[in-house]
Amino acid sequence: MKKRALFICLVAGLLMGIPIAAIGAPDAIHIGATVSQTGHFSSEIGPFKRLMNAWADLVNEKGGIMVKEYGKKLPVKFTIYDDRSDQATVKKYYERLATVDKVNLMLGPYSSPLTFAASTAGENHQIPFIAICANSPKIYTRGFNWLVGVIDLGPRYTYRYWEMIQKVGKAKSVSFVVEDTIHPLSVFKGSKKLAEAAGLKVLTSDVVPSKTRDFTPIITKLKKENPDIIYVSSNIPFAINFMKQAKEMKLNPKEYHCIHHSGIFRDALGSAANDVIGQSYWVEGMKLGDTQLINDVLKRAKISEPMYPWSPAYVAAFQILQRSIENAGTLDNKKVMDNLKKLKMETVLGEEVFAKTGYGSLNTYPSQIQGGVYKVIYPPSVATGKYVYPRPPFK
Amino acid sequence: MSADFIQLLVGGILLGGIYGLAAFGLSITFGVLNVLNLAHGEFLMLGSLLSYGIFVGLGINPFIAAILVIPVFMLLGLGFYLLLLKPIMDRPPHELLVASILVTLGASLFIEDVTAFFWERPVTGISYSLPPMELAGVVISSTRLLILFFIFALAGGMQFYLKKTYIGKSIRAIVQGREGAKVVGIPISRVSALAFSIGMALAASAGAFYVTLFTVTPVMGIPLTIKYLCVVVLGGLGSIVGSVFGGLILGVAETLTAYYCGAEWSPTIAFILLILILIIKPEGLFGAKK
Repeated sequence: MKKRALFICLVAGLLMGIPIAAIGAPDAIHIGATVSQTGHFSSEIGPFKRLMNAWADLVNEKGGIMVKEYGKKLPVKFTIYDDRSDQATVKKYYERLATVDKVNLMLGPYSSPLTFAASTAGENHQIPFIAICANSPKIYTRGFNWLVGVIDLGPRYTYRYWEMIQKVGKAKSVSFVVEDTIHPLSVFKGSKKLAEAAGLKVLTSDVVPSKTRDFTPIITKLKKENPDIIYVSSNIPFAINFMKQAKEMKLNPKEYHCIHHSGIFRDALGSAANDVIGQSYWVEGMKLGDTQLINDVLKRAKISEPMYPWSPAYVAAFQILQRSIENAGTLDNKKVMDNLKKLKMETVLGEEVFAKTGYGSLNTYPSQIQGGVYKVIYPPSVATGKYVYPRPPFK
Repeated sequence: MSADFIQLLVGGILLGGIYGLAAFGLSITFGVLNVLNLAHGEFLMLGSLLSYGIFVGLGINPFIAAILVIPVFMLLGLGFYLLLLKPIMDRPPHELLVASILVTLGASLFIEDVTAFFWERPVTGISYSLPPMELAGVVISSTRLLILFFIFALAGGMQFYLKKTYIGKSIRAIVQGREGAKVVGIPISRVSALAFSIGMALAASAGAFYVTLFTVTPVMGIPLTIKYLCVVVLGGLGSIVGSVFGGLILGVAETLTAYYCGAEWSPTIAFILLILILIIKPEGLFGAKK
């Protein structure tokens, strides 16, 4: 009796034009992630649940992602938890995503420390894990097979800037002010080597506790050293506090480089932010191919790119996720992961290729705030403005 | 004295002034109510955010915002006291202290997370500064100097209020001895509510200066409270003058330590001073012996 019913269903399905494979298709492609809606990172990533859902809505409005195995498009469905910016919590939720929610693919949390903790769930349960804003080399030296990261390694974060400095050849010395946390330290280590390789003399390197609010001692030292470039490797609050006091104490190098100089930096500093160089993944007007998706997702999520300059990296991650499933033509974990590893594609931020250990190739570009507007200044092929050196001094 | 040393001294004093003002409120709350308010830093953070809103939304100078936030936070402080602290005030002193730590820590985490959830701006800061002054090679931040004057004026006003008014005298009486104050007919509950409100208003006012100089995030409160506790213990519980001097000493010590020993030693100096003062003069520099 049962066999007969199944036969009738199959025949009916064929007659109605439904591919046989689609009958056993899952209801959706389940993607798991956490967002730090509370805790330390909430100020940097808090509203990104909206970003993920905005992209899912855009994809689902077009029917979803094509999965060849089922002969149809499947909608994308996110399961997102608040990781409270905490390593133990993030680990717990990624385990849950793997074992209870049984997601097909995981997007990493924000930051290197959280990604370091969360990515073990992908490895243990053999689920593809795409890290996004996590570039500490530590993450990619554990021999993980189920992990790829969208962006390039931290030590190379500003390599294009040093390339530019060497090419222009005007600056001769640099002093580093470094916030004592994982990402700025990692960027600093690479930058110091790159600066030396570019022929600059490194005068001082001060590693400063993250909670430092008063920079009088360091600024007093820097005034004596008088470097051409002061390079601040830090997160945004640290950089704002440093620059505010640098202006108050009339510290006037020829150039400031603050690795993170987002819209919050610009707004909090006003005119003091002008001519400061930093790093951007993307700015409006850059010649990077079709970047309409960035605008569409951000607009729908009501997120401003200058306030959250790492948001384009998330959009690139969404594209990678989509392409890996489309290329695999299945939701089979192994096949999706194999396709991820050998993926070579043009994203909204340029070409993405993954290294053997898993880290990606997307990197930042040096950008300078000119009259309150972010201008990418190097390389000329994508530049939106001209490099200003030296900057006018604080008066 | 070299110009560098004077520069560091001036920088330390200007920094210490901010510590002093923020520690005022905490000192009064602890001295009068025997309540260790771990949500103090959260009120400073909320005061900063309100001042930011006043500056950006209405274009009002942060120095005026520092005054405008006072009545708002007196009311908030009163509500906080009536809702969360009054129910535990009748407990024996040691139980009250533990209960107050738990209640205010819970409130602090609640305020922090709710603010982070609704205040979507990742980091808040305002672009307000005055042109610096230069005297004999020493650059002095006019903004910080003005803030220091403002803090001294506020400290003077508070000192006057505590010494010359009935409520002020009542607050001091409670600091000196709760039971004695009760015996002479001071309305402990009402004065305590007022003292707590004043404490919160001072924290919020300090917040207005804080956001002028530094960045503010919704999660900054607890580390600030711990630092200000060091200032309070250093200066002496319930002492306005003690808070100011405690703040100045800590500010100068941090700046000199960072310059001569390295920036990584700067946060440690607060705790070294704290241990020293607890060994040598446990009641604090300006605290009365009980």
